[in-house]
Amino acid sequence: MGLLRAVVTPLLVSMVAFSAGTAGASEPALKVVASFSIINDFAQQIGGDRIALTSIVGPDSDAHMYEPTPADVKAVAQADIVLINGLMFEGFLARLIEASGSDAEIVTLTDNAEILQDPQGGHYHFIGDKAVFHAAPEDPHAWQSVSNAQVYVSNIAQAFCAADPAGCRAYEANQQRYSTTLTALDDDIREQLSTLPESRRTAVVAHHAFRYFENAYGLTFFAPQGMSTESEASAANVAGLIDELQSQQVSAVFAENISNPRLVEQIATEAGLPMGGTLYSDALSNAAGPASTYEAMMRYNVATLMSALTPP
Amino acid sequence: MKKRILARSIAALAVAIGSTSAYAHDEGVTEWRLFVADQASPTVSVIDATDKALIDTYELSGPAALHRTSSGQTVFAVQGSEGRVSAINTGIAFHDHGDHADIDVDAPERLDMELAGERPAHFVEQQGYIAQWFDGEDEARFFTENSVLEGKPEIRTANIEAAHHGVAVPYQHHAVVSIANPDDASQRPIGARVVDFEGNHVGEDVACPGLHGSAGSGSLYALACQTGLLIISTQDGTPEIEHLTYPASLPEGSASTLLGGKGLQYFIGNFGADRLVIIDPSQGEEGFQLVQLPTRRVHFATDPIRPRFAYVFTEDGQLHKVDVLSGELTQSLRLTDPYSMDGHWNDPRPRIAVAGDNIVVTDPAAETLHFVDANSFEQVDDMPLEGKPFNIVAVGGSGVSHHD
Repeated sequence: MGLLRAVVTPLLVSMVAFSAGTAGASEPALKVVASFSIINDFAQQIGGDRIALTSIVGPDSDAHMYEPTPADVKAVAQADIVLINGLMFEGFLARLIEASGSDAEIVTLTDNAEILQDPQGGHYHFIGDKAVFHAAPEDPHAWQSVSNAQVYVSNIAQAFCAADPAGCRAYEANQQRYSTTLTALDDDIREQLSTLPESRRTAVVAHHAFRYFENAYGLTFFAPQGMSTESEASAANVAGLIDELQSQQVSAVFAENISNPRLVEQIATEAGLPMGGTLYSDALSNAAGPASTYEAMMRYNVATLMSALTPP
Repeated sequence: MKKRILARSIAALAVAIGSTSAYAHDEGVTEWRLFVADQASPTVSVIDATDKALIDTYELSGPAALHRTSSGQTVFAVQGSEGRVSAINTGIAFHDHGDHADIDVDAPERLDMELAGERPAHFVEQQGYIAQWFDGEDEARFFTENSVLEGKPEIRTANIEAAHHGVAVPYQHHAVVSIANPDDASQRPIGARVVDFEGNHVGEDVACPGLHGSAGSGSLYALACQTGLLIISTQDGTPEIEHLTYPASLPEGSASTLLGGKGLQYFIGNFGADRLVIIDPSQGEEGFQLVQLPTRRVHFATDPIRPRFAYVFTEDGQLHKVDVLSGELTQSLRLTDPYSMDGHWNDPRPRIAVAGDNIVVTDPAAETLHFVDANSFEQVDDMPLEGKPFNIVAVGGSGVSHHD
């Protein structure tokens, strides 16, 4: 990370020529805070230059592990709307909002999205010789299916319309335009991945950030960590995973932009698998990188997967 | 096993918030313990912060500076004058399960582990990795908290070329160590470098004239220099150091004691005798804020539970609440008779710890612990404690306990 700024770009959005009269206001109609970079891009697509936008967790940074700064607190304190993923993705959020004393509208973008439970069904605690079951949290990485991204964007447009009725037509027009982009993106992903044979549709990633992707597009990912990068993989997890990989048709191992690649590189070495590149999971790249928008991120991930998984 | 059971079971709370994460036999438990070192007799007292009752007392070799680990499972007592470092299992452990944490509460226990060496000084712990610095030795020692708790500390070392009053910051495969003044190692260090445990330097040395004071906040670690801060971050597991220069807008001065925010990523340090500086590294040179105190500071602490606030105790016997966003003293409360900062730096004077909703201040002259409600900022209780209660740390929190 360019050390000092995980984020915070007080951003007056003006970069995209939006349809249906979004431009014009000299003062932003809404002060919006997005909890992380992917939501920041969605908000930018819908809000255009009517909003002043600040992202808390920045490009290539891990929201699971983020520690908010005083500047973040000030941004939330001044915000009209705070856009969050929810499903316990932003572990820092409660203390951030409390510290800010903000009365901003907190909009949970996974509301009405199709949410996946932990497929392993939770986890057990052992109290003496007795096992106690805890249902696992819902998987928060819902943006990894484009159909859920459509829900995020719809929720943003509704929130902006409610807070700024004068700009509603512009927000809805932007949503319509961006929705078309997302539909084309979804079609393209399906078309490309459909060419992979069954024997080349399984891979390893660092943490379970791609369940929605595999559910939507028919790939399978193994991961040594749980759904949060906070839970460090144990040696037993890793050994068990390598054993399991021996019985699967795994084609490649992928690093993630928010995680140290050392663990997955070790797995690739021990399992005799090639490294397939780096996938963008929980954060976009910076503006100079290959995944500076959600659409670019998804296209880059698919290109990386196709490059590694396409039969030689 | 001792547990403090909340009025409602977690199962009931889970229903209230729509969660399915716990069952009827899970209960919420809150436990806070204070560890107080006495400056008159070499002991550490363990106190139940809620009942204000003495749980146990441990004999040490000498007066101790106390350090708790981030997990709260271990308290280390660094006895610089006697060349000893002792460890205490706090008896409180948390097990993170993502959607909740389990708490396990047992009796505290003095651990067998003891380090002996020449003038042990700065102690740094990050994510279970520990660096213990010895001012009189030419290598720093590194070990893990887990190995201490298991009774088999596995010590690694890193050469620091010359004994000096410095600091080491531990990482899994590396450390950042201070660089001794080559002209006179008794003077403050001149910089810092990244080393591994095979004797290699990693990258370039980074200048940090007058290095003294260090703290961690979130994923960052900071070392205080006369010119600014060195900010250490890790991207691929290897520490990277950048220098954050004091802005020209600040008056002459520098920090030599640092603390790191918990829950908010910031640093707070002394800036001369009667000011504090609050630093938000994310804002670069714009991120420095001075706080003027009414008199010289005695001690300061951050609040890990109400991250917007820190506390500072001043010579006039007052405890002040610092808003780290505005840089203002928002509330003040007289707690003790005046304490002068003249005299030996290590004379017993008030120290601050935050234990849940209580701010606890030691008052060595009055042989008392003062309890202040962190929310109302009113003094709510005192607890007599014989001797010279001086350094203090608090461990504890809330979690889920499973039982039949």
